[in-house]
Amino acid sequence: MKKLMIVLTLASLLAFAGQAFAHSPLMSCFDNGDGTVTCEGGFSDGSSASGVKIHVTDGGGKSLIETNMNQDSEVTFKKPDGAYMVIFDGGAGHTVEVNGADIVE
Amino acid sequence: MTLDELQPGISCEMTGLTASGALGQRLMDLGFYPGAAIAIVRNAPLVDPLELHLDGYHVSIRHSEARHIEVKI
Amino acid sequence: MTSTPILVALAGQPNCGKSTVFNLLTGARQHVANYPGVTVEKKTGSFSIGETRVELVDLPGTYSLTSYSLEERVARDFLLGDNPGVVMDVADASNLKRNLYLTLQLIEMEVPTILDLNMMDVAERRGQKIDILGLEKILGIPVVPTTAKRGAGREQLREAIVRTADTTRESVFRVNYGPMEPYIRELLERLKEEPLLSVQYPLRWLAVKLLENDAEAMDLLGRNHPDADRILEATEAARSKFAAEEGNEVERHIAFTRHAACAAISRKVVTMPTERKRSLSDRADRYICNRYLGPIILVAILMVLYQVAIVFGNWLALQVWPAWGALEDFAADVLPAAGFMDDPLLRSLGLWVVKSTTAILNYLPIFFLLFSLIAILEDSGYMPRMAFILDRLFRRFGLHGQSTLPMILGGVYVGGCAIPGVMATKAIPDERARLATIMIVPMMNCLAKVPLYLILIGAYFADVGGFAMFFIATVTLFMALPVAKLLTLTVFKKHSSAPFIMEMPPYHVPTVTGVLRRAAERVWLFLKKIVTVVAAVAVVVFVLINYPGLTDARKAHYAEAEVKAVDGFMAEVEKTGYQGRINRDDVLSIILFDEALKRAKQGVTDQEKSNVINQRFEVRNPVYYAVVKRVGGDGKALNRAIKKVNRVRKQVRRESRAERFETSFLGVMGRTLEPVTQWAGFNWRINIALLSAFAAKENSAATLGSIYGLDGSQSVQESMKAGESGFTALHALALMLFMALYPPCVPTSIMVRHQSNSTKWMLFSIGYQTLLGLFVASLVFTGGTLLGLSGFQAMWAFYGLCVAVTLGMGLIPVPEETEATPVITAICKDNCS
Repeated sequence: MKKLMIVLTLASLLAFAGQAFAHSPLMSCFDNGDGTVTCEGGFSDGSSASGVKIHVTDGGGKSLIETNMNQDSEVTFKKPDGAYMVIFDGGAGHTVEVNGADIVE
Repeated sequence: MTLDELQPGISCEMTGLTASGALGQRLMDLGFYPGAAIAIVRNAPLVDPLELHLDGYHVSIRHSEARHIEVKI
Repeated sequence: MTSTPILVALAGQPNCGKSTVFNLLTGARQHVANYPGVTVEKKTGSFSIGETRVELVDLPGTYSLTSYSLEERVARDFLLGDNPGVVMDVADASNLKRNLYLTLQLIEMEVPTILDLNMMDVAERRGQKIDILGLEKILGIPVVPTTAKRGAGREQLREAIVRTADTTRESVFRVNYGPMEPYIRELLERLKEEPLLSVQYPLRWLAVKLLENDAEAMDLLGRNHPDADRILEATEAARSKFAAEEGNEVERHIAFTRHAACAAISRKVVTMPTERKRSLSDRADRYICNRYLGPIILVAILMVLYQVAIVFGNWLALQVWPAWGALEDFAADVLPAAGFMDDPLLRSLGLWVVKSTTAILNYLPIFFLLFSLIAILEDSGYMPRMAFILDRLFRRFGLHGQSTLPMILGGVYVGGCAIPGVMATKAIPDERARLATIMIVPMMNCLAKVPLYLILIGAYFADVGGFAMFFIATVTLFMALPVAKLLTLTVFKKHSSAPFIMEMPPYHVPTVTGVLRRAAERVWLFLKKIVTVVAAVAVVVFVLINYPGLTDARKAHYAEAEVKAVDGFMAEVEKTGYQGRINRDDVLSIILFDEALKRAKQGVTDQEKSNVINQRFEVRNPVYYAVVKRVGGDGKALNRAIKKVNRVRKQVRRESRAERFETSFLGVMGRTLEPVTQWAGFNWRINIALLSAFAAKENSAATLGSIYGLDGSQSVQESMKAGESGFTALHALALMLFMALYPPCVPTSIMVRHQSNSTKWMLFSIGYQTLLGLFVASLVFTGGTLLGLSGFQAMWAFYGLCVAVTLGMGLIPVPEETEATPVITAICKDNCS
């Protein structure tokens, strides 16, 4: 019996890396046309994304802007020149990336 | 001799039943009757229950239940 | 040329392909319900043979027709009470001797019987040869060989039904009970005296059953014979006399005689092969039930199940999500427009109900996958092996080997769902173990509980996150097992525990259609039963968290903010060329216009497409468009201004919502509970979050967020820390434990009611889980505080405690099955709860 318990525990430890699920991150971004970009965020289960870290990186991955979603789960930042990525960082396994090229007016 | 005393690999013939009520009925329903040929296939990884082969099909019962089945080799 | 429909009952032992025969005959026209008052599934279907309608009812699979198990009683009741024109007995041709045991009993019930000798392909493979005509002659009933899974024999079955319906066959086989026959004859004479009885019931069958001491038969007699007591007395005397004379009890004798008859018939008509081949199943079992490989294979299968259903299912759910998102958007468009601070009741209620429902619908892909995988596991024949391997372990805690799957589904490590978990308990044959499993599955780690764990761990156990996650994920198992044991020893003590005796059928390759059909059936059942209740509960929760609402004074306060914001905007308008063309009413409309534009462009990544949408909106209202899209100098100026107004609007909505929430009925409830919950470290804010979380656990994270009136510069966890100064890791630990234990959600409770078939058990599960959660949380919090432990220390102290209790509980012996006749629960025919 002990052997069985050990096997089960080890196996489950290996398999499940503490991911959380139906709590999936969502983000949509819009180009405001005035040199800024606004992104709205949330989670599929309705949880607020307030306070979630937002990273804006350049085409090479270098961090340009570090900020957070505000209380309304929104963030507005200056649109970078050239290629960029917006990363919604809700913690392990809860990131969403949006390519700047896909953000339209 | 009762069924729970036998080891896997042994075949025997049932001679009697000492269980009554639901247990006895269920055993009879699943084909345990005097004259039935029973082969012990294996014990479970945790010893209990055990797997038996009756004429053409497999049944699994606990050792405590097997104690009610009288057999002869 | 009968135009009245024929009622056909489909009977048979388990694992004979009865379902396949059912599907073969009825095609897609099926309907699943329950037999009245019990949790036994009743499948009915219909089809036509020429001009004649046939209604087919699938009886539960049973090895025999005693009154010891619910399934058998249900089958018997149907045969006696519902007057089927034909009973079709589906048998496994490769196991004729054993299957005849049921056939003979069916014949004894004097309903016209057809023997469907199914799985002929298996018999052939094993080298058996069956003399069909010979069998027909001996039994005196039609015998139809079929291989249902290949569709062979369908026409013959249909023809046999028409031929046999409502006929009486004179030369039907009758078991000769030898020394018992005189007793039967005597009893028969007595029974014939009561004409009412002979019209309704097969007398010889009744006589045999009475002599067998069958409880339901005795009951039946009591209800239909004026002189029942005297007859029962005489029967009792006859039984004793027989036992004394023959040295064997009546039941034994009857069962043994039947078996002997089956063996004799089988010997006459079945030619066995000279050498018995080792079947593939036997060879597979050598590994699957092996002492070392067996458990490893088990874990592997469970891991695959988990991986596919949960992980892949989540990915699938994410793909499907836009559909639900679209539903929400559609509702947002169709319902009355939003206001500045408040929305019309219809809108806010409507959106709330839609959101609550889509939260549940989001799980559908996961459910479909899960149900398909479970159907595969069931059809393949693996479940009995799982029970075989794990039974000893689970039995110690009052559970059953087949409790494994429900618990895995509920979420053994992290991320499961109690709803399919409770649904899966259907397969557990032992009533007591089944109830125990139903009670503890909701304690497992459901997907919706996880966001809250993450928030709390992130806030209070950030540096030891991994350990904390491991803790909360595994401690539930060590709490569930002792609870199951405790329940078994106390509350369930009166429930009989069935014998384990379990057939291990040969392995079987599931068919794609069979699996998909079953999965679809269960998803449909889920939708029917649960979604409607969720919507109803959503309305109730809505009322609870929104009323009594803000006082006039507060409303005025927020209205003032609105007025000021609009004033500011109008001042800007005066300075531009739009003066006179935009007035106060337009302000809100512009904001809503902007939102609509954003919604229309969601997911659009192509500038071309975006321009098309932009144009559409421009045409709709050029003035609004100019403000929203910064057209011209005036447009730019007003755009800045409207953004200011929007910020105020959002703030007003957020704050008023939070305030309304805190003063609502739910808020008051939360406050009133505080004296009790303080021992667990919960203040009224936490109470409110927990109360609303019952409606749907997902809400807890969102609610927690809104209550703390989050200030966007910090993360959720930081705000919570700031908001709740004095809230320590110990508080967080207590909260996590409470959330782990208390009932996950309304849909689960509905499932509990459905599976246990009683509102009493549903209420019990809700009640005991809440109390247990409160108790454990209080224990940890107050105990930890008194002992001066840090959150982390308390965590592992508690863990150790749970493991110790589990091991201790495991050592206490479980009450063994009583040998006495079990109490028969009457099958409720109408007006059952």
